[in-house]
Amino acid sequence: MRIKLWGTRGSIPAPGPETIRYGGNTSCIGVTLSDGSLLALDAGSGIRSLGLALGEEPARLHILLTHLHLDHIQGLAFFAPAFLPQTEIVIWGPASPEAALRDRIARYISAPLSPVEVRELPCDVSFRHCPETDWEIGPARIRAASVSHRGPTLGFRIDDGDSSLTYIPDHEPALGADLGRLEEDWISGFSLARDTSLLIHDGQYSDAEYPKHVGWGHSALRDSLTFAHRTGAERTILFHHDPLHSDDFLDGLGAEARRDWAALGGKEGAIELGAERGEYELPVRAPSPIATV
Amino acid sequence: MTQKPLELILARNLMSALSTPAFLVDEGGVLVFYNEAAGTLLGRRFEELGTVGPDEWGSMFGPFDASGAPIPYDDLPLVQAVRNGRPAHAEFAIRSTDGVSHSVEVSAFPILTVHGSQGAIAVFWPKQAHSNGAGPA
Ligand SMILES: [Zn+2]
Ligand SMILES: [Zn+2]
Repeated sequence: MRIKLWGTRGSIPAPGPETIRYGGNTSCIGVTLSDGSLLALDAGSGIRSLGLALGEEPARLHILLTHLHLDHIQGLAFFAPAFLPQTEIVIWGPASPEAALRDRIARYISAPLSPVEVRELPCDVSFRHCPETDWEIGPARIRAASVSHRGPTLGFRIDDGDSSLTYIPDHEPALGADLGRLEEDWISGFSLARDTSLLIHDGQYSDAEYPKHVGWGHSALRDSLTFAHRTGAERTILFHHDPLHSDDFLDGLGAEARRDWAALGGKEGAIELGAERGEYELPVRAPSPIATV
Repeated sequence: MTQKPLELILARNLMSALSTPAFLVDEGGVLVFYNEAAGTLLGRRFEELGTVGPDEWGSMFGPFDASGAPIPYDDLPLVQAVRNGRPAHAEFAIRSTDGVSHSVEVSAFPILTVHGSQGAIAVFWPKQAHSNGAGPA
């Protein structure tokens, strides 16, 4: 499984010289499964660059939306493959009691907010509510589960061979709870992240900033670290960086994260801050053959 | 380990912050949490008790009606809420571990989501003062 961070910012794009290293595009992760199947996790402004990188080859891809906050869908109307008739796109997202996924997305991709309408997209696009139970895309097993944020929001786990990726970009599991002491089955997102190979998780606020943002749906650094540590994630990338966080600020936050991670007893090198265009490879090991005697 | 549905997690977080006694059951009727105020009323903290299966918890603390007769499990507001997906309300008495009876009003409502019922919450309103004054005056 190959993973590329196309957008690491939360809330709103924050381009500029002060965010050039960690990136200014909002949430989007490209995932190439072991059979070459393509997934995009969220469609923030980062998906525009992912689309350009795909070129004009016929493509079939799945876009998994955690939720419909603008920073997770705003790139959809600027995703070049969606304007090619040879592209087939399946968009997965959370169900809502209020309206179908297609209709909720069409509120953004429609006048007066957008020059195009969903029905005008030349590609073959379909919309599906994420099922409650695991489902398969190519060789991968996908699981979606509701997590603590504002409005219906999912986290995803993708298991491909022995490796797994867990993606929970907007998450406040410590809201009204003591994460350090709570039983595992009562922690939002826990089963998604348990012993995962790579956890990509909300890292929006420093501990000092969090008290002014309680209930906004994002985590303080210490809570992201506690979540990562308790779930046993092998490696963790913190992202969904606050738009106010400059590269210099994030360097400092990263140092704080490594220090606090070590204090929790976490493995060295297992925690980092996500930077746009960062690439990761998770080995897809085949089950070990039975030894012959 | 089965992960609790998010709605139960959020309900527990809210209930933990309330001074109103409250019970939480899952969709199968298992008592999965009650808060500190409920623990004070019953004389036993949830942490000491742990989860309690359906049928069991209904009889642990009474409940009984004005004539002192036990109220059948099926008639409890919490059970009705989780089974019927509708709110329910009742008045009865419960007995705490120290043997003292408490008259309470109970309102229960189901936790319904796009994926169906996830359980129910019951809030207890003590009708007479008791030691720590928990509940609305
Ligand atoms: Zn977001
Ligand atoms: Zn959000």
